[in-house]
Amino acid sequence: MEDIIIEPIEDFGLSKKHQQRTLFSKIGIVGCGKDGQNIARIASANGMEVVFIELSEDRIQNAYNRLSIVLDRRIDNWGMTQGEKKLILSRIKGSLDYKDLKDCDFVIEAIRAEASERKITERKEVFRKIEEVVTPECIIATNSTTIIITELSSELKHRERCVSLHFFVQSPEARVCEVVKGMYTSEEVYNSVLKFVKMVDRQAIPVEESAGLISIRLYTALLNEACEVLLEGVGTMVDIDSVWKVGFGMRFGPFELADILGIDKINRWMENLYTEFGDPRYMASPVIKKLNRAKRFGVHTCCGFYKYDVNGKIVGTGPLSNEKL
Amino acid sequence: MKILVINCGSSSIKYQFFSLDENRVLAKGIVEKIGMKGSFLKHEKESGQKVLFEGEILDHKIGIEYILGVLSSPKHGCIKSLNEINAVGHRVVHGGEKFSESVLITEEVTQELEKFCELAPLHNPPNLKGIYAVRSLIPEIPQVAVFDTAFHHTMPQHAFMYAIPYALYKKYGIRRYGFHGTSHRYVSSRACEILKADPAKVKIITCHLGNGASACAIKYGESIDTSMGFTPVEGLIMGTRSGDIDMGAVTFIMDKEKIGTKSASILFNKHSGLLGISGIASDMREICSAADKGDERCLLAIKMLNYRIRKYIGAYAAAMGGVDVLVFTGGLGENSDITRAGVCEDLEFLGISINNQINEGLRGEERIISNEHSRVKVMVVPTNEELMIAIDTQNIIRSLTK
Repeated sequence: MEDIIIEPIEDFGLSKKHQQRTLFSKIGIVGCGKDGQNIARIASANGMEVVFIELSEDRIQNAYNRLSIVLDRRIDNWGMTQGEKKLILSRIKGSLDYKDLKDCDFVIEAIRAEASERKITERKEVFRKIEEVVTPECIIATNSTTIIITELSSELKHRERCVSLHFFVQSPEARVCEVVKGMYTSEEVYNSVLKFVKMVDRQAIPVEESAGLISIRLYTALLNEACEVLLEGVGTMVDIDSVWKVGFGMRFGPFELADILGIDKINRWMENLYTEFGDPRYMASPVIKKLNRAKRFGVHTCCGFYKYDVNGKIVGTGPLSNEKL
Repeated sequence: MKILVINCGSSSIKYQFFSLDENRVLAKGIVEKIGMKGSFLKHEKESGQKVLFEGEILDHKIGIEYILGVLSSPKHGCIKSLNEINAVGHRVVHGGEKFSESVLITEEVTQELEKFCELAPLHNPPNLKGIYAVRSLIPEIPQVAVFDTAFHHTMPQHAFMYAIPYALYKKYGIRRYGFHGTSHRYVSSRACEILKADPAKVKIITCHLGNGASACAIKYGESIDTSMGFTPVEGLIMGTRSGDIDMGAVTFIMDKEKIGTKSASILFNKHSGLLGISGIASDMREICSAADKGDERCLLAIKMLNYRIRKYIGAYAAAMGGVDVLVFTGGLGENSDITRAGVCEDLEFLGISINNQINEGLRGEERIISNEHSRVKVMVVPTNEELMIAIDTQNIIRSLTK
């Protein structure tokens, strides 16, 4: 290496007052399942460093592999170059230790709790662990849609720094994000999060604190109605999806979308919403319960309303329909 | 006159500080990774000594503040006070139909430039950030905008229009604007200086062959046509851009591959060109070394690149009713003897004949590479857009003070 003098840049400002850090230069994610991977990819693609916490080396490896597959798919569809993929992956680090979150300015909890009743306790525990290691300025968020952020943050020392934000996972083109302010959330924190959403090139939708936000409430009601139409024999599964897609110009039909989002997850959403509102329209349709019990969760188990190959491509209809595609 | 030239990209700022009266570059450098982890400022003094400044650089304004701080610092700087800077010249990519030459930046000018952000969404917004930053940091120092599109303003309407509904031109300004104007202008006028020719009497074709590439037909000192159009993807084959392609193929591919406009844009801008054909690289050196080993697709990529340039030379000779000077510039044009030789092959009928002995191994040097008897003077002229921006800035400031 040739002779290069190295200096700290702070000494060369005109006013010598620029000691602050770049906002959102490093973000943390706890739990790197489908949602966590999605957030990691979006943040990294927009130039941020990402560290994610998982429970085992295996899960870390799995997350890397899934990230790589998703990016490869984008390259195959001409949406990205090899160089960009390398850059995105190089900014994402997996870890088992919460201490690695310490210099993050934003940490998002995205764990996948298997059983509903444990969900809130588990998430509270995660929030506490995050708070132990990060600075008081660090913003803590949950990606959960049916958990109330005020309840989640109630046991923290700095409650004003908590928000809830919901990214959409079914398509990378869904450039929108619901942002929820809790009872304790400060104006400053909320505005910073809106800035974060803008930095990752999404439209922020401010949402009042309410289980299911806008998106999940609309979708669960739609899916239940679609199941009802199917059970009454009004139309076939494929036709119901077609009417929704072609007739209303949607990207996916309600059943297709259920398989993408995961029927296990939808079932939990519905349970939570029903508990919260007590309104039967959120009570999971028998069809959903049946698929959930049979562990036919959708694309990730290769079977749900439809059947899938390992690449997630539809190859036929599932047990609820004998239609030919 | 001391002039600071600034070129703001989306996450970088290049700068050069000129003392034009003394013909010196007092300092130059680059700020990179703005707003990201690991941002830095790399500064090179006139002596060649390099200094790396590491630390957080939040945005363009802070980047420019550090540039000014370094330039005026006792330890690494070259001026005692910022008042020594007489003016700042900015590279601005898109000047739309409004700006036909470099201008002094006023409130009205920035308002106009805001409007062109839609036409150059990747380039104009950071250019503007740089202008606003300088305005707030050193408001008393005049600023000048030098446009990539301005030189092509002389293109006649029959050359810049697309044959699509005229309403779209009126509605969105869909037309050919051309880019690399500062480079084409610099090398063509430099070529005239070297040849001691009157620009008003010669017909020049300039080939700016870098990562992006364009050719320009310059008749009697004015650009009358250029290969880039509404966006920089039209025209020559580039590192990763396709250049000219049948629209029908574009819509067909979008249907078949089920992709939208965004992915299609990435496909033709980043997956195409030399990279797309060779499947190996966008860099000519890598392609040449693979071609030497017999890689068929690399050989094809080289042939295609040369062929496309040759077609444009023929077209522009026809458009101008002849050609007197052919200039190569840009990374590839300045350094690749193979490309220059490949392009000029079989063009003797046009009066183009290069001297292989001079051409071979010539890198980054002003030189006439054609044979004595060649009717057309073929030249290599390294481009210097920063100097051109500095000179424009100086001229505008001088005209103000007169």
